[in-house]
Amino acid sequence: MKKILIAFICIVFAHNAFAQKDLLSFNEQNKYIYYQVVEQPGLITDTLQDRALYFLKTAYPKNKIEKAQTSGNYTGTGKFLILSGALVKHVDGEINYTFYIECKDQKYRYWLTDFVFTPYKVDRYGNSIPQAGIDVPLENSASKMDKTELDKCLDQAGTFSKQFGDQLKVFMIKASALPKTEKKKVINTKDW
Amino acid sequence: MKKKFLLLLLTASAFAYTSKAQDTVKTTQDAPLVLYGSVDTYYKDDFSGHNNIPTSFAADNNSVSIGMVDLGLKKTVGNASFVGEVSFGPRSDESIPSAGEHIQNLYISYNLTPKLSATAGYMSTFIGYEVISPLGNFNYSTSYLFTNGPFQNAGFKLTYTFSPDVSLMAGIFNDEWNAYSSSHDVSNFGAQLTITPVKNWTAYLNVITGPTAGTEFDLTTAYQITSAFKLGLNAATYSTTHYSAGFSGIAIYPQIAVSKVVTLGLREEYFKTDNGTAASTYAAAGPLPGGSVIASTLSANIKTGPLTFIPEIRLDEVNKLAYSTFTNSTYDATTGSFEPTKSATQFVLAVVYGF
Repeated sequence: MKKILIAFICIVFAHNAFAQKDLLSFNEQNKYIYYQVVEQPGLITDTLQDRALYFLKTAYPKNKIEKAQTSGNYTGTGKFLILSGALVKHVDGEINYTFYIECKDQKYRYWLTDFVFTPYKVDRYGNSIPQAGIDVPLENSASKMDKTELDKCLDQAGTFSKQFGDQLKVFMIKASALPKTEKKKVINTKDW
Repeated sequence: MKKKFLLLLLTASAFAYTSKAQDTVKTTQDAPLVLYGSVDTYYKDDFSGHNNIPTSFAADNNSVSIGMVDLGLKKTVGNASFVGEVSFGPRSDESIPSAGEHIQNLYISYNLTPKLSATAGYMSTFIGYEVISPLGNFNYSTSYLFTNGPFQNAGFKLTYTFSPDVSLMAGIFNDEWNAYSSSHDVSNFGAQLTITPVKNWTAYLNVITGPTAGTEFDLTTAYQITSAFKLGLNAATYSTTHYSAGFSGIAIYPQIAVSKVVTLGLREEYFKTDNGTAASTYAAAGPLPGGSVIASTLSANIKTGPLTFIPEIRLDEVNKLAYSTFTNSTYDATTGSFEPTKSATQFVLAVVYGF
């Protein structure tokens, strides 16, 4: 019985122990970035672009999507919540980010960057709302956040970025991820 | 068998706990079961040696006293959501209909369309700048406008969002403020127009009116001008239904962050009570009818993690001695009371833990 309980506690603690912030690096502008290049043999640029767009519209419908300067590539912005607590959550704030997806024959790359944290406060009705005017880029957060808060943000930014990439990978691999065009069953009554 | 069942249960719990939702773009509405709340305690020293300033909360003098423990739960599933918030302690007792009752917020909302939502239940009022929870205020002591306005309104309201910058709430509320149920009927009408003229500046134009509780017009606005400087303003006027009694006032709230830990803030308030007719029995918390008071409160918010330390000095001065309810430290044996004075000064050190 003791062993079971210890194993359970280990699983729960292990959940918190993964340092996902290590998934982020710095780019040329000294900003945090999650960057991946993925080989996708057998698929041409157009197919990858279609699948990338369908991924963005399906998996992240609330994101703002823009076409990048290069045709068929996508950029845009989105956000995710920073939560703390185990079974019952507390909303600490949100992170806004910018994403890019670029496709070429048999490969694509994507990156998430411009991570900006906005703390939340609880209003009189119990709603968690952003604190107006307080936007903290994670790379410039030393003067505005303590290390624990920053580590939490970086961990969750890393986790989110990895999930974004994992989902994109699923959409890029599977043709079934594309929108299905249902064929209408039409019967010609003239020829019989 | 029992062990096996327990093992299965624990494994299922662990998997449920460690598995991650696939749709990771979450907004506040999509958040899981969310817990929020606060705990606060304070020490106050009124320079007269006894409590003088009649605004809400922090009433104990020369005492390390408690505020309240406040616990809220909220959850949204699809278009439906609820908020339930309970509180315990002296601050709670002062802020709800009857001491010993504990509901601060209990309401259910439903998004009828993406732009129109309906809410029913017992809600914190939409009137005013300051709130009951010490987490929501910069200063620990409260303003005269807050103390004399409504704390909560029970009712039904509709909110329509015209654009991200403009929304309108209108609703019907129970005939009396701060009551779980109505005395006679649901006869208060309330409305709030929310405008965001520029980014980080929001203004609320509020009204609540009814034959029992009277009418209050209120303007509440806050502008985060820079990341370090914020300016807030609250102006309101209230009149009882009959007898012309009531109050009016204005308060400004400049706040400046001097470091990532320390923010300094001033509340400068002017508050005036109306005479009313001879038949009026209305008495606002503050100067006697016909008088006015200027209250200056300088506070610091010193934050470390979830903790906020709030040292605060406050000076209130009534326009004429005749309207003052303040007394100094000199005891007059002939009258059996302390001598009246125009002004009162207090120091407060509060600690608030928020989560």
